[in-house]
Amino acid sequence: MGDLSLFLPEATMLVGGLIAFTASVCRAPYRVAWYVGVLAALACLVSTSAGLAMSGEPFFEGIYRVDAFSQVLKLGIVGGLLLTLFLAGSPGGVRSDARVDMPIFLFLSALGMMMLVSATELLTLYVALELSAYGLYILAALHRNQRMGSEAGAKYVLYGAASSAVTLYGISLVFGAATAAGLDRPTYLADLAQMDVTPMFLVGVFLALAGILFKLAVFPFHAWAPDTYEGAPHEAVTFIGTASKVAAVGVLARLLFLAVPGPESLTTTLLILCVASMTVGNLAAIIQKDLKRLIAYSTVAHAGYILIGLVCLSELGVASAIFYALIYVPIAFCAFLVVSVVGRDGTNPTKADLAGLYKRSPLLAVTLLVAMFGLAGIPPTSGFAGKWFLFTAAIESDLFWLVLVGAINATVSLFYYLLVVKEAYLTPPGDRSAITIAPEVSFAAWVGIALVAVLGFYPRPIWDLAEAAARSVIGS
Amino acid sequence: MTDFPILTATLLCPAIAVVLTLLIPGRHEKAIKTVNALAGLATVVLAMIAWIAYDRAAGGFQMMEDAPWLPALGIRYTVGLDGVTVVLNMLNAIVFFTGVLSMWNLQTRVKEYFAFMSTLVFGVFGVFFSLDAFAFFFFYEVAVLPMYPLIAVWGSTRKEYSAMKLTLFLMAGSALLFPGLIALYVGSGSETWNILEMARSGAFSRDFQIFVYPFLYVGFGILAGMFPFHGWSPTGHVAAPTAVSMLHAGVLMKLGAFGILRIGIECLPEGAAYWAPTFAVLATGGIVYGAFVAMRQTDFKYVIGFSSVSHMGIVLLGLNTLTAAGTDGAVFQMFAHGIMTALFFSAVGFLYDQTHDRDIRNFGGLVSQAPVAVSMFIVAGLCGMGVPGFASFWAELLVFVAAVREYPLLGILAIAGLVFTAAYMLRVLGTAIYGPVNPKWNHLKDVDAWSVTPRAILVAVLVLFGFFPNLILDMIRSASGGL
Repeated sequence: MGDLSLFLPEATMLVGGLIAFTASVCRAPYRVAWYVGVLAALACLVSTSAGLAMSGEPFFEGIYRVDAFSQVLKLGIVGGLLLTLFLAGSPGGVRSDARVDMPIFLFLSALGMMMLVSATELLTLYVALELSAYGLYILAALHRNQRMGSEAGAKYVLYGAASSAVTLYGISLVFGAATAAGLDRPTYLADLAQMDVTPMFLVGVFLALAGILFKLAVFPFHAWAPDTYEGAPHEAVTFIGTASKVAAVGVLARLLFLAVPGPESLTTTLLILCVASMTVGNLAAIIQKDLKRLIAYSTVAHAGYILIGLVCLSELGVASAIFYALIYVPIAFCAFLVVSVVGRDGTNPTKADLAGLYKRSPLLAVTLLVAMFGLAGIPPTSGFAGKWFLFTAAIESDLFWLVLVGAINATVSLFYYLLVVKEAYLTPPGDRSAITIAPEVSFAAWVGIALVAVLGFYPRPIWDLAEAAARSVIGS
Repeated sequence: MTDFPILTATLLCPAIAVVLTLLIPGRHEKAIKTVNALAGLATVVLAMIAWIAYDRAAGGFQMMEDAPWLPALGIRYTVGLDGVTVVLNMLNAIVFFTGVLSMWNLQTRVKEYFAFMSTLVFGVFGVFFSLDAFAFFFFYEVAVLPMYPLIAVWGSTRKEYSAMKLTLFLMAGSALLFPGLIALYVGSGSETWNILEMARSGAFSRDFQIFVYPFLYVGFGILAGMFPFHGWSPTGHVAAPTAVSMLHAGVLMKLGAFGILRIGIECLPEGAAYWAPTFAVLATGGIVYGAFVAMRQTDFKYVIGFSSVSHMGIVLLGLNTLTAAGTDGAVFQMFAHGIMTALFFSAVGFLYDQTHDRDIRNFGGLVSQAPVAVSMFIVAGLCGMGVPGFASFWAELLVFVAAVREYPLLGILAIAGLVFTAAYMLRVLGTAIYGPVNPKWNHLKDVDAWSVTPRAILVAVLVLFGFFPNLILDMIRSASGGL
């Protein structure tokens, strides 16, 4: 047994989940459960920040590693959870009898994600993956409108279960290949990394990646995203769209470096997925009218951008991918915030519902502007720095054409982001009424805007974290 | 004096204006306008100080400031001025200040308008000062994007279409710049984004230069109204409100030409030499095509819009001669065209604000109806034709002499294009300004003392440098002499 204090951030999260569970069992009023949840999440943020510099192994050797990489990503996950909770003060779209249960699944899923980025053994990794996924499956199905909720949940579960099965099959192949190669501990990543890459091993890694690419909504594993985003409550989507992306990027980076220096087929495949994701996501987003579907397709495109960094298989590439995943959290959060306030009765806002937002709620309009410019990568938002770093990493790895494709995609994406901004700023409000915002939501909006803007002008703090994280995952 | 961070101070003027504009409640429109006008005035004063403080004998980059921005990746905030940017800095300050003044009567969404406009100006200053490729591109995009709301909200004539077209064209240019600029950093093999050091390093092989240069040239060229990618420019001009047209044609398009000069030609001289003949042909195409199309336009703003394509063609032709004289002429033309076009749009804007009409055929004898306002237009028109006594004359002369020397055929074609310029300008002057009086506009008010100020400043600048071109040429030469 190692030093258990290393597990403190996760332990805090677990306690948070238990408290939420108690609140649920007592059938406490939702507002109470929510307050407690926010406090617990704040405690998690504190303990995770405090644990940022920790490194070591809290459990049996080689299974669970706490290092700069895992801690930085945990910070992103906890940040996503906290921001999501700020939005969930009065979740109009969630079934009223299930509201009080929502924090449990948020906490448990976040716990799964935190363990996911620390897991260095395939079975631990798989268990963490499932733990993070089940919470999300349930959250996705909690919509007030039963039919919508069931559809979103069912689609998510079925896609998720299928890709999880593929992942498990991939792990079994890796296990077989490793055993055949005479490895004593055939599921330990540290040992697997030393192994020669055999065909069976490579196929196994490929298949194992499927479950992760599903979480990240990379083409062709993206089909669930638009439907789930559309049918799930806004709070669940916010969590899926922010925290779970960070976790997925983390575990993807860990698994990829198993097969490095790998054969060209690995990079080629990822390159194709990367280009396809960007292109499919952006083109499909152009024709969306429902704002959540639009964001879902833009998520697919952003998964493609993040893959640019990972495809490089270099330290700079991983650092830029992690950086992008981290700054993506507040940017996407700003977008979801607008969605959930405009559609606070649980309906899905369309682009037309944004008309005249600049008059109905200036703060929401600015939040939307920041989110859209951030997603499009326009300075001075942090999205610009994120794209710049990803592209720099790609050109260092001689992927000039990939950068060109990425940059052209960014131009295409600007078109539909600007159409959203146009609705909010140009179209007169008509008979749409003014929007009042709950104090905690307007606080969260300011936090989101500040994070996007400040990190745009001064990306250094997050970049330093991302670089440390990349160094530790490659060094391991 | 030498220690005063004059460039950062200049950069802060519009930035502070943006912040104050956002903080002042929207109903205090006068206060918002005053803040922005003061910021504009401050930049003019600072630009003058920089002009005087710049040591021409020493040349090179001066007033340098340097601070780490993201040291892990070698990104720094490095700013400095050379002779070229001293001039362009002055241009931007003048257009900013006069632009604010000419929007003094704006009434719709005043607060947002000035916030976007000052953001744009902030970006333009940043581009002119930056010596770090990351910072350069950062400010470049900051400058380009506010055009979308500025045109789409406050514009006229198919404004949403024009705004989107403009933005997508320019962002397509950025899509080429992204890989181009980053390739420079990676290709230089050094750990710096500093443009000067990249240029000095000589690390770029000939093949690399030939491969990367077109990305930079076309990427920046789109913003410079490069033929055949100029389609966004006339529609954008027409749709934009007066001050935005002024900024857009006066300053923003110069960013493109400036980018080609500062990054393209200076970092990749061999690539530039390889591609110069091709791009010179396109530039000449722009000169002739723009002038031809302008002849057939009936909308005042379309005439000016296409004349901009033509005049920016002269800038690009000058750059593509890759000679000191051609470059001097190109930079001079950037300045002269910036001021001239600002004057043009401000004159047309004045007319349009009162009549809501821009069709040349609907006007006649304006000279007797609004003599002072129209005289501004006449001055700009004469300047556009390259009549001696105005700044453009010297600029165009320099470019054409250099062009005829380097590319005799293209040079002659370009000069022939100037004949068409004269033709369309005289057509406008002949019909709308001197033709038979159209009584419909007899009630037209002439400019008052207040709104004549910005225009008078622009005229004064054109005439001043028309008679004393050396004031500006000495400055530009101190930079390009080493080319």
